[in-house]
Amino acid sequence: MKQMIVPKQAAALLVLLLTALPGGSLAAGPVVKGQVARTSKHATQGITCAQCHGKAAKKSVVAMQQCLGCHGDTKELAARTAQVKPTNPHENRHFGTEADCNRCHHEHATSENLCLPCHLRFGFKVP
Amino acid sequence: MSQDHFQEDQETDQYTKQTIENGFSRRSFLSRAAGGAAAAGLFGLSSLPAAAAGPTKTKDLEFATSTDGGATLSFLPKPKPIRDREIAETLTFDVVVVGAGASGVPAALSAAENGAKVAVIQKAPFALSQGNTGSGVDLATSEKAGIEALVARLIADSNHRCNPKLIRQWAYHSGEAVRWVIDRARQGGSPVVDQGSPAQRAILKVNGYSMGYVTSFFGPKPYTTGDGMRHLAKTAEKAGVRFFYRTPAVQLVQNKAGEVLGVIAKGPNGKYTKFLAKKGVILATGDYQNNKAMSDYFVPDVKHLERKQLDKTGDGFALAYWAGGVIEPIGHTKMLHDFDAGPASMCDMPFLAVDRKGRRFVNETVEMSLLNNYLRDAENAGHYSQIFDSNYMTQAATWPGKLVPPEGLKNYMPDDPSPKKGVFESQVNTHVADTIEELARKLEADPAILVATVKRYNEVVASGKDSDFGKPADRLIPVVKAPFYGIHRRVRVSAICSGMLVDENHQALNAEGKPIKGLFLIGNLGGGFYGGVDYPLTVFGLSLGRCYTFGYLTGKHVAKL
Repeated sequence: MKQMIVPKQAAALLVLLLTALPGGSLAAGPVVKGQVARTSKHATQGITCAQCHGKAAKKSVVAMQQCLGCHGDTKELAARTAQVKPTNPHENRHFGTEADCNRCHHEHATSENLCLPCHLRFGFKVP
Repeated sequence: MSQDHFQEDQETDQYTKQTIENGFSRRSFLSRAAGGAAAAGLFGLSSLPAAAAGPTKTKDLEFATSTDGGATLSFLPKPKPIRDREIAETLTFDVVVVGAGASGVPAALSAAENGAKVAVIQKAPFALSQGNTGSGVDLATSEKAGIEALVARLIADSNHRCNPKLIRQWAYHSGEAVRWVIDRARQGGSPVVDQGSPAQRAILKVNGYSMGYVTSFFGPKPYTTGDGMRHLAKTAEKAGVRFFYRTPAVQLVQNKAGEVLGVIAKGPNGKYTKFLAKKGVILATGDYQNNKAMSDYFVPDVKHLERKQLDKTGDGFALAYWAGGVIEPIGHTKMLHDFDAGPASMCDMPFLAVDRKGRRFVNETVEMSLLNNYLRDAENAGHYSQIFDSNYMTQAATWPGKLVPPEGLKNYMPDDPSPKKGVFESQVNTHVADTIEELARKLEADPAILVATVKRYNEVVASGKDSDFGKPADRLIPVVKAPFYGIHRRVRVSAICSGMLVDENHQALNAEGKPIKGLFLIGNLGGGFYGGVDYPLTVFGLSLGRCYTFGYLTGKHVAKL
């Protein structure tokens, strides 16, 4: 069974379970610690669950401030991507420099381009 | 709700009666869920028996589920009150405004100018709004009969289902309010202008009576009313208003009698602040188009249609509903446009129009603001294209609207290298091609279908009579001479403009029709101003004009309490 699930679907499933069960621990249901970690890009760099989610048994959604702790100030980020065409994704009319990282950059699922489909031709590749 | 109650109360108008009877409040919801409308009206909010205070989830779902299972009434469970020990800080003001948009910023400034100590709490990192034009009636240049004729026109536009008192309030106060917004926004650095009556060409005479208008224009794009409200917020800050950004409201503070005393909001640090409001809380949080459960329930028409806004999650609806407010009955008024893909002045011109695949679908004299009704399915999802040939400048010269010549159309063509001006570059979607097949590909339509549609349309035009859709003969022009033009429009949800029951002070009313002390609702959260299937385009800028006007009036009213 396990081998039949393609990674993308597995990641989506895990995210679904995690968000749908805010009270559940990571070990609830079919989700086990190792599988969650494998969907994480951070985990491959030796970063532990607790570094983002804290040590509590209930793993909640990570606040944006947590991202900034390692990745740095939003305004500096916006300056680094100022030349991106057709527009700077990190400084926009909707949120200024304060768009929540998680709106586009997902840790346990495929990242998405929030600008599409409203803005035709804003074809950003989102890491 | 019992009939007797209303017979006793001669003051209650038709609109308010109807909204109380068929709208959604915690009381009506609980009563209906508990056993039908017969139970309604027996219990006041505070005297509900404990057992009825929390309907079970099963009952919600049994009571209201759409055939696809998507629409349920389970979207507004009242949360447990946040306890005082969870509050990091308590701040006291006279007036607390929730939401810094086209009604909230004016309300805050208006309250401050009338002596109040004001706070604005806003979910986003700055003030936000959309659109360019906001309108009012210039009393000095309008005949009284004309104003009343315009009021009647707007009531008819709302299919006679709105609250006429609120329309009149806009009509008689909007000139003053819009002028005030223009003046104060300029003080904050805005290049806003008054385009006056010329911007309202079609309604300079209403039923033969003369009218004049104040038409604020925050533009041209990419400058919008969003920038305008940020400029207005600068003026408000100078007037002493304190803005708290990235601070979404979470709960209202209410005493046992149901009076609203303040708002609890969550700051960017994740901590709760209690904002106490000595005179009143004004909710100006906008619509709920990004709240899927609410949209599916109250306006299922837009299920497959794209949204223009972000984060309009109906926060104020939840807050006011928990406090006992009444949401207008199902079938909310929606606003769907596309003024960006091609020239706005050509959007209502009755060129051949085809759906997403390339099929003709309508008598094209139907206005753009209504076309969403033909394109509600998942396949079309609001997409259609206007098609014309290179004779359009002469053959459509007498049509209503304003033609843009071929050179000007390049400004709307993503494939044309010319620099764009006064448009959103990422939204333009006009195309030109030497063949219908090539045009179809650019418009993302099916080439074979579009070729067949154009062939049939040209036959109809040649016959001089539209035997397919009945369009008037003087609106039939052929599509024969290359190059061919197409404007690929996609109408998306600009706003949902039905809201919650208020009186003429914009104070929220409960399910008994009684004002909720300390709670005021303005902008698209306020109900009673519309009622039709779609937002009317009779007065360009009515929506923003109404937001400014009711913000201006409500700020003043609450400050003087």
